Amino acid sequence: MSGVRLRRLLAAAGLPVVALAALAGCSAGRGEAGGRSVIVLGFDGMDYQMVRHLMAEGRLPNLARLAESGGFAPLETSVPPQSPVAWSEFITGLDAGGHGIFDFVHRDPATMTPYLSTSRAEAAERCVGVGRWKFPVGGSVELLRRGQPFWEVLEEHGVESWIVRMPANFPPSGTASRELSGMGTPDILGSPGEFAFYTSELFAFEDESISGGEIYPLDYWQGTAEGTLYGPPDPCQPGEPQLSTEFSVYVDAERPVAKLVVGEEQRILEVGEWSDWVPVAFPLPLGELPVAARFYLKAVRPELELYVTPFQIDPASPAMPISTPDGFAAELMTPTGRYYTQGMPEDTKALEAGVLDRDEFLAQAEFTGRQFIEQYEWVLDRFESGFLFYYFGNLDQVSHVLWQTLDPGHPAYDAERDPRYADVIPGIYEQLDAVVGATLERIGDDTTLVVMSDHGFTSWRRVMHLNEWLKERGYLVLEDPDRPDPGLFRNVDWSRTRAYGLGLNGLYLNLAGRERDGIVPPAERQALLEQIARELLATADPATGEPAVTEAFFSEQYRDRGYLEIGPDLQVGYAKGTRGSGKSALGDFTGEVFSDNLEDWPGDHCMDHRTVPGVLLSNRPLSRPVGRLTDLPGALVAEFGIAQFPRADKLAAR
Amino acid sequence: MFGARIKLDKELIARVRRYSEIAGYSSPEEFITHALEKELAKLDGAESEEEIRKRLRGLGYIS
Repeated sequence: MSGVRLRRLLAAAGLPVVALAALAGCSAGRGEAGGRSVIVLGFDGMDYQMVRHLMAEGRLPNLARLAESGGFAPLETSVPPQSPVAWSEFITGLDAGGHGIFDFVHRDPATMTPYLSTSRAEAAERCVGVGRWKFPVGGSVELLRRGQPFWEVLEEHGVESWIVRMPANFPPSGTASRELSGMGTPDILGSPGEFAFYTSELFAFEDESISGGEIYPLDYWQGTAEGTLYGPPDPCQPGEPQLSTEFSVYVDAERPVAKLVVGEEQRILEVGEWSDWVPVAFPLPLGELPVAARFYLKAVRPELELYVTPFQIDPASPAMPISTPDGFAAELMTPTGRYYTQGMPEDTKALEAGVLDRDEFLAQAEFTGRQFIEQYEWVLDRFESGFLFYYFGNLDQVSHVLWQTLDPGHPAYDAERDPRYADVIPGIYEQLDAVVGATLERIGDDTTLVVMSDHGFTSWRRVMHLNEWLKERGYLVLEDPDRPDPGLFRNVDWSRTRAYGLGLNGLYLNLAGRERDGIVPPAERQALLEQIARELLATADPATGEPAVTEAFFSEQYRDRGYLEIGPDLQVGYAKGTRGSGKSALGDFTGEVFSDNLEDWPGDHCMDHRTVPGVLLSNRPLSRPVGRLTDLPGALVAEFGIAQFPRADKLAAR
Repeated sequence: MFGARIKLDKELIARVRRYSEIAGYSSPEEFITHALEKELAKLDGAESEEEIRKRLRGLGYIS
């Protein structure tokens, strides 16, 4: 049982929950740093080459205005170029060695178990009995990103800071005047997002491995279906059963219409229609756990099919800390009502599973993007002065799943279907350009507007299975090569394994004294790493004859220090167009070193970081030069006349 | 021996008696309980690893 779940249950039960961070003192907005304002728009995954290309075609007039008046340049991204790593660089001005986020996925060397890198949930210490009920006590959730956020320094100098949907900031730092956590914020189950799909079809998806969601059978008879919605487990009941609540669907006898009933909520939906946000309450012994979801009626005949979004932490009554102050999450409902609080809300997993088709996915993603644009405009209207950051993630997620529509050479390119979608991604660039235009219209001459992205984007054509490569070269040994792979390294013979891959770019040595069953003596570490790096850089993809890896980055190359022991010994920078396998990332073995990428994830950026720069544009030249992400927060702080960021004591750790 | 009866073959019971004594268990029941708990703990661990794997696969990046 995770601490996240326990906090949720505690809060929902109305029991006191100790705040993770104190509220920031409210500043006057202008303070000692003067009356300047800076607005930063964070466009996740906006690619430098793509912006240049669309700008040249005249499709991004507002970004072109920025390029003319303030500048437009590539922004060197992090090593590795993964969003949590890159955004942590932007937040702290430190590289991964200093902020401690090296990948989406880290591992505990004592247990060799992988975990999500940006936050950790601690389970409750005990359950306390109140009458005939029991309640969890002592759970918590902790942000694992280290280093000082730049807005903390702004606030110290009296600059009111609004930080909305910042990635790698869950739970929120508590040190900005206004904060809403972004990427890394889980759904109510504590996962990145787990949809539910209800179908009356017998044995649907039975032989398929579904990730990111659950398939549930529906009992459908004479136009009526009954089902159960499932929440998190209740840790204080024997067997920790999942919290649950019932729902019903009544299908019209003639028309493709159904009535959905969940508790006291009712919605009439046509086939192909999405509901608005439906508040759902999971009953608890005392009180209830409030969540929110949207329902999509996919079909009513011959089978009934209903998709349910991951259950969101309800912004109206958050069961976990997602904003500063606590009420800001509810305040943000003013323009749109409830909204996605889950960090990455575009449901790419439902698309991958075939639960949503491409058009249905795009409708969901489009709704998400539009809702956050409306929210941003509302925030902008209320922001008076100081510092404002707002994050847009739609471009990144849609680019991941539709990039082959821009690349006829991609192995998954479908010459019949894909040309119809070739303008979707450029269309989102235009939509974000319009956001910039709307911002320019509303700001005065005293405001600096900065547009930035964490990394660029490119086609992901070829897959390299790093653990298979290590196995082929004898660095990794299986206990029983003939045994079907159980995943998660469970068939690895650690007594004969010297190196393993984990995460999307990480390569670790099985180091004596660090890993649970480490065998590589520390004295041999450097020579072994150099040998592996040489071999990686000399490896060619047999299908193309081109190098598969173009960058081998040793942990000692990080400029900052303090948390190197958490991360990999070597970051593998795959050649542009090649990426590490998602299966290998969690210690699964596929039987081949290279393969075509045929998954519903044709675009990516987790490659040689030099090949996927982000963008930096501004309406006036910044007073400090910025070449890489780590330079940017110092330059933003300098706009307010604050001389040094990161502070000297943080730099001393370098 | 158990709240619920479990049928074991005679030869196995004889071996349980013999080894429980050698290993210093106070009774064959204690030996069997310990052995079962150890095996079940392994299975519980595997389940929780599956839970972890499922959660990580919820990231679009990981298939």
